[in-house]
Amino acid sequence: MKNKFDILVLIVLLLAAAGWVYTPHDPMEQAFLDDRLSGPGAENWLGVDGLGRDFASRVWRGAANTVGMAAAATVLCLLVALALLALEQGGPGWVRPGVRGLVAAWIGIPVLFVGLLLLVFLHPSVPTLVLAASLGSAPLAFRQCRALWLEQRHRLYVTASITLGASRGHLLRRTLWPNLRIDFRALAKLVFALCVLELSGLAFLGLIGDPDFPELGSLLRQNQTYLFRQASLVVWPGLVLFVILLLIQLSNIRNSGTRIG
Amino acid sequence: MTGLLVPGLVRFVWTAIRLAAAFAAVSLFLFLAIRALPGDPVALRLKNPSPAQVAAERERLGLDRSAAVQYVRYLGHFVSGDWGESVRTGAPVVRDVRQFLPATLELALTALVLGVTGGVVLGLLAEAARAAWLKRTVFALGMVGLTVPIFWIGFLFLLAGSLWLGWFPPGGRAGPGIEAPAGTGFLVPDLLLAGRWGDAGNALRHLLLPSFCLSLLPAAQVCTTLRARLQDPRVGALLTALRARGLSPAAIWLRHVLKLSAGPVVTVAGTNFGILLGGAVLTETVFSWPGMGRYLVGAVLERDIYVVQNALLLVIMMVLTIVYTSDQLAGWLRQPAGSAGRERDRGGAG
Repeated sequence: MKNKFDILVLIVLLLAAAGWVYTPHDPMEQAFLDDRLSGPGAENWLGVDGLGRDFASRVWRGAANTVGMAAAATVLCLLVALALLALEQGGPGWVRPGVRGLVAAWIGIPVLFVGLLLLVFLHPSVPTLVLAASLGSAPLAFRQCRALWLEQRHRLYVTASITLGASRGHLLRRTLWPNLRIDFRALAKLVFALCVLELSGLAFLGLIGDPDFPELGSLLRQNQTYLFRQASLVVWPGLVLFVILLLIQLSNIRNSGTRIG
Repeated sequence: MTGLLVPGLVRFVWTAIRLAAAFAAVSLFLFLAIRALPGDPVALRLKNPSPAQVAAERERLGLDRSAAVQYVRYLGHFVSGDWGESVRTGAPVVRDVRQFLPATLELALTALVLGVTGGVVLGLLAEAARAAWLKRTVFALGMVGLTVPIFWIGFLFLLAGSLWLGWFPPGGRAGPGIEAPAGTGFLVPDLLLAGRWGDAGNALRHLLLPSFCLSLLPAAQVCTTLRARLQDPRVGALLTALRARGLSPAAIWLRHVLKLSAGPVVTVAGTNFGILLGGAVLTETVFSWPGMGRYLVGAVLERDIYVVQNALLLVIMMVLTIVYTSDQLAGWLRQPAGSAGRERDRGGAG
């Protein structure tokens, strides 16, 4: 990994995911009822929330949940985008403009409204939010995948491989994938960042179902009433979210060769 | 002239067809989604109805007819503005939308104006300036604007602007006791038109912080797009040619560079307006802004079906109309600039 931001992103994501196996205290247990809304200290690094729970543990578990949900949404989003691409490129002629038209309309609808559309008939829950974030980002992923595919498929090395009798599997695995890998990884990072942002936005609006679920956006919602009394309860979850998003963005910029300044 | 009108007309017809198809798809989705909900919509409208009342209401609403007929009736009611009553507010949905939509539009439009102006100024400043620190500062601001969650930065703005500095109120659309005069529904212009300057100032102070928060993303996108456009080698060659002709820097940047950048900026602004309406939902929650976003989220969570199937359809169609229209406008802006440029080039060569 030549890009230092890639390494930083990996470290931050692994640290966040560690919140599933370790937190300083139980993030759901009201173990510090006497210290409610107290500030950071040795026992409670980020203080105690309004219900007497260790806030560092809740932020850590929240980061793990956000990252996990966004990873699931990213995989689902890329699968939907690839399925659409297969349909558009390999399907019958009348399907192609249909897929392109669908994506053109779909891409104009903000993810939040996609989420609201889904919530008309699905109950607010973690899987619904994951589905909303993945479907909301799918048109963008489809367009990027399509651009990558169209750029590569008529290259000379692909034609040469086909002429040499490569099977479809061999062509995809050995010929195309090594050339698509870097761009696809950048796309996956972009989609992941979008999913993190959209999921936490939807959770912030209370669309996650369980109002007590530790997720970064949901933590902001739970603690917004304490903004003027104990600001750190609002500052920390958002700061963690911002750091994750900023590092991914910087990593993608560095990979695309854009110079800062 | 005809050469410009015919493609423009074709694009207009194509946009109208795309919008009609999107309207059919979204309305059908909402219709089917609401039909898939468990429970009887009649029970939502009536309190403890008798079987006879249920039958009469089902007949009145057309729920005893086929699905196709019900869908056509739904479209008819949507177009004619017969949107039923909200279960939550007890008021006609049309009246609620007339109250909440202007609040959201006022917020989003102010944010768009702030964002586009700020983005253009920062983008031009970064490209025109020679100082590396300025370029880096603009880049850093762009990064923050593109990545920061607006529902978090909103809280930071509230902390700084309201708690620490005390310059802005902590939320809402206007101070207590300020009644909105009849008019456009946009509070600040309505108060100004009514000559209530003090109240207008109060409403403006309520508007500035949320709209500034919402403007960060469009500002960053406009700035990034503008810089990418200006770093195009062809633009560099044009600037050299204009300098060689003896034009002043102000004339070059304000007359030529701004015109060149108008197309991409309009596209970004149009695309962003949809995102702004989505973002407005989050900003409204942070700043307790009584807008359409909070109304819709509440309606979806509480299964207020008449609000969902009409107001949500209206907002999504508004977003798509703006996105498609801005695409068309950007195409129109690009075309005359290119034609004019070619004509000038031919004139110059001759």
